Amino acid sequence: MNSTSISAAVTPQPLFITPAEVCSEFSYHHPSVARINNGGFGCCPSSLISYQRQIQMQWLRQPDEFFFNQLQPGMLRSRNVIKDLINADHVDEVSIVDNVSTAISIVLQHMAWGFAEGKFHSGDATVMFHCAYGAVKKSVEAYFVRAGGYVIEVPLPFPVNSDDEILQEFRQALDKSKQNGRRVRLAIIDHVTFMPTVVMPVKQLVSICREAGIDHVFIDAAHGIGCVDVDMKQIGADFYTSNLHKWLFCPPSAAFLYCRKSNQSSALHHPVVTHQYGNGLATESSWIGTRDYSAQLVVPKVLEFVNRFEGGIDGIKRRNHDAVVDMGEMLAKAWGTQLGCPPHMCSSMVMVGLPACLHVSSDQDSWKLRTYLRDKFGVEVSIYYRPPKDGEVGPLTGYARISYQVYNKVDDYYKFRDAINQLVHDAFTCASLPDSYIRLV
Amino acid sequence: MQHEYPRNGESTHPSSKKPKLSSKFITESDIRDEFSHHQQRVARINNGSYGSCPDSVLTAQRRWQLQFLRQPDAFYFNVLRDGITASRETIKDLINADHVDEVSLVDNATTAAAIVLQRIGRNFAEGKFQKNDTVLMLHCAFQAVKKSIQAYVTRAGGSVIEVRLPFPVNSEEEIISEFKKSIEEGKSNGRNIRLAIIDHITSMPSVVIPVKELVRICRAEGIEQVFVDAAHAIGSVEVDVKEVGADFYVSNLHKWFFCPPSVAFLYCKKSTSSSDLHHPVVSHEYGNGLPIESAWIGTRDYSSQLVVPAVLEFINRFEGGINGIMKKNHDEVVKMGKMLAESWGTNLGSPPEMSAAMIMVGLPSRLCLHSEEDAVMLRSHLRDRYEVEVPIFHQVYVDREEGVRDKDGFITGYVRISHQLRMGKLAKCFIRNEEAVIKVGEGFHGITCVLPASDVCCISQFLKNRIKGGQGAARKNWNF
Repeated sequence: MNSTSISAAVTPQPLFITPAEVCSEFSYHHPSVARINNGGFGCCPSSLISYQRQIQMQWLRQPDEFFFNQLQPGMLRSRNVIKDLINADHVDEVSIVDNVSTAISIVLQHMAWGFAEGKFHSGDATVMFHCAYGAVKKSVEAYFVRAGGYVIEVPLPFPVNSDDEILQEFRQALDKSKQNGRRVRLAIIDHVTFMPTVVMPVKQLVSICREAGIDHVFIDAAHGIGCVDVDMKQIGADFYTSNLHKWLFCPPSAAFLYCRKSNQSSALHHPVVTHQYGNGLATESSWIGTRDYSAQLVVPKVLEFVNRFEGGIDGIKRRNHDAVVDMGEMLAKAWGTQLGCPPHMCSSMVMVGLPACLHVSSDQDSWKLRTYLRDKFGVEVSIYYRPPKDGEVGPLTGYARISYQVYNKVDDYYKFRDAINQLVHDAFTCASLPDSYIRLV
Repeated sequence: MQHEYPRNGESTHPSSKKPKLSSKFITESDIRDEFSHHQQRVARINNGSYGSCPDSVLTAQRRWQLQFLRQPDAFYFNVLRDGITASRETIKDLINADHVDEVSLVDNATTAAAIVLQRIGRNFAEGKFQKNDTVLMLHCAFQAVKKSIQAYVTRAGGSVIEVRLPFPVNSEEEIISEFKKSIEEGKSNGRNIRLAIIDHITSMPSVVIPVKELVRICRAEGIEQVFVDAAHAIGSVEVDVKEVGADFYVSNLHKWFFCPPSVAFLYCKKSTSSSDLHHPVVSHEYGNGLPIESAWIGTRDYSSQLVVPAVLEFINRFEGGINGIMKKNHDEVVKMGKMLAESWGTNLGSPPEMSAAMIMVGLPSRLCLHSEEDAVMLRSHLRDRYEVEVPIFHQVYVDREEGVRDKDGFITGYVRISHQLRMGKLAKCFIRNEEAVIKVGEGFHGITCVLPASDVCCISQFLKNRIKGGQGAARKNWNF
């Protein structure tokens, strides 16, 4: 049979995921919550949750067989997917861990050994921005400072108008430490800061670090993959870590830690030690005792999900960014406030000033307002208190960090807009809520 | 608009719903249903490695998981901490701890070992311990614990004393005597023993250790702290941390206590030093005490730690609760062990009173297990060819140790059989005369493998030939 006429038939274009399908994937989200805090805990579509369950059941069905035959190949597949996504040279450079907090502890424990084993000296420093994530600061205290190190904090200007403002602060801090004769061993730089959220000029910051002779550069990109462009060779850091459950749809939880191949990188260890100790961080991390590794094994399926969207992960990032800027500008206009940074310095999140009359005057106020918005209005959004600087007149002291992810709708942001307008109308101030309003201490 | 998020201490978590009171205990058929997700063709006699989890607990776990995913912020602020505290309270009562502050939840015993040993490492780095201060452990300690000692103690300048326990063992006195001897030797070299790590139930070979007595000896000998690695204990032997008297005690809940993978408790007796224990993954709660630190180590799935109350509900469906289950498991595993030893003309690795829900049974010497590699190959062969899942131990005799013989030679291999409820089928293995026949009983119909008489002497040769013939690859194997 002559098959040429059949093979000449055009293969139909693969259909992209439709809005209705996206809606269905996230239909289990609480229906009456305007969920505009994807940056907090991320999200996971139903189809991936189902797939994860299948993996969990495979383990439970016959765990010995799974351990011996399936686990390691599965982890390697996930690591290879990540290696390609982030443009790493070699899969050995990619370890999978639970979350960025774990990655931070791994790198900082390594630094602590540096002090204990005499490679670093008491008073050697780490440099980081003052708005570094709280858990990171604690980890620095637990490992670096406790071992004898010193912390240099660089203020992040906020609101910020350009990359140069950030670079200048950073250079100034390094110059000062040089003048003080302090040796800087480690720089910890956010790719996208947590609060207030801003995309940092990481490539330039890494260059400055190299010029200054800093031993190790570590990028905390908790919000990196799926949110900004992540290219290891472009960025040029020694260590880079990002969560996969925040912006890449993995179930909770999984993150990668990239360690550029060098003499040093072979000396990193996972703090939970098993029989794999000494076989390289990637191998150590792929077995840290009996646990559920299913979240780490779904990564290849995650990529399939992402590629159902037009433009894949890049398309998602671009659309999220455009949408969050639109929504941010809409809110700022409605409230008569401003954005915390220019659009090119935001990712899939943006800071929007809150009306000054709400009187957000402390971190405590920001927690109270957040809780109130959740409980009374069904709006989930992170609130930031921005302390006024000396000499400032009438600055905005409260900002909301809004996120945009594929499941969000314009109505979510209208709901927030209206909630704040209602509070303003009611002459609400944070002081009207008792301190005990927040459950958490 | 009021929302449903529980505040001020209320909880909507699934296990807070009052259970339906039933006068009937769980039936055999219920049990089969609860474990119907297990691969039915496999004779699963290795509960000791990875444990098992009934369907009703998995369902409870899923509800927790979905609750988080549905609205994670509200879950984090309003539900998580209380849920973990409820689990910790349940465990505190189970283990007879004084205060819930003494109970932390971690992933597994391996994590707990890292927590305790990381502190030892810090003590060396900060000059509190001197070079050559010592940690004492059993020579058959779990491999991960040995590596953790290497990573945190040896690397920091400490030294290690290994106590070699006799195996097969005939009485607790043999263990106590060896233990005392090793401590004396260690102290005679002028070494300061900072920490003793003692298994409650050793992993491979598996034996129930007289921990209470050994802890007492440690105290008498001035050993600073004692850490009991009881990975297999809860749900398999009685656990009373005040009776045992150790400073630290860890047990996995997913092995014998029906929790999903994975969760363990680490008990730390209240003292000045227990305040300097930290989870190695540092987060916001750093400095608020180990239980609080461990309850938040970054965004993760904490559902396996939240189901503990639901697990207790499952257990209490059994007559006698966990004690009833433990007794039944023990009686059955001893019965099965004796049956196998009799069939094979071999021995048990320990007397029944030194076993819990696992027991070591000698393999016929005719199998010629001469190396760890042979043990690995035999285990894989039993899994692949006969669908029997059981770990194999290779016994090494040193110096003048007397070996145990069967009619053909020295017994160099043991299987570690486990018994958990009625979910597993049992493998009956016979070796007969000129033929080696491996038959799986109780539900199977005579899957046999007849080895040619010329190959019967050496299982490793037989398996190597099979491997050459491409019938399965040798795999690196770790016994758990």
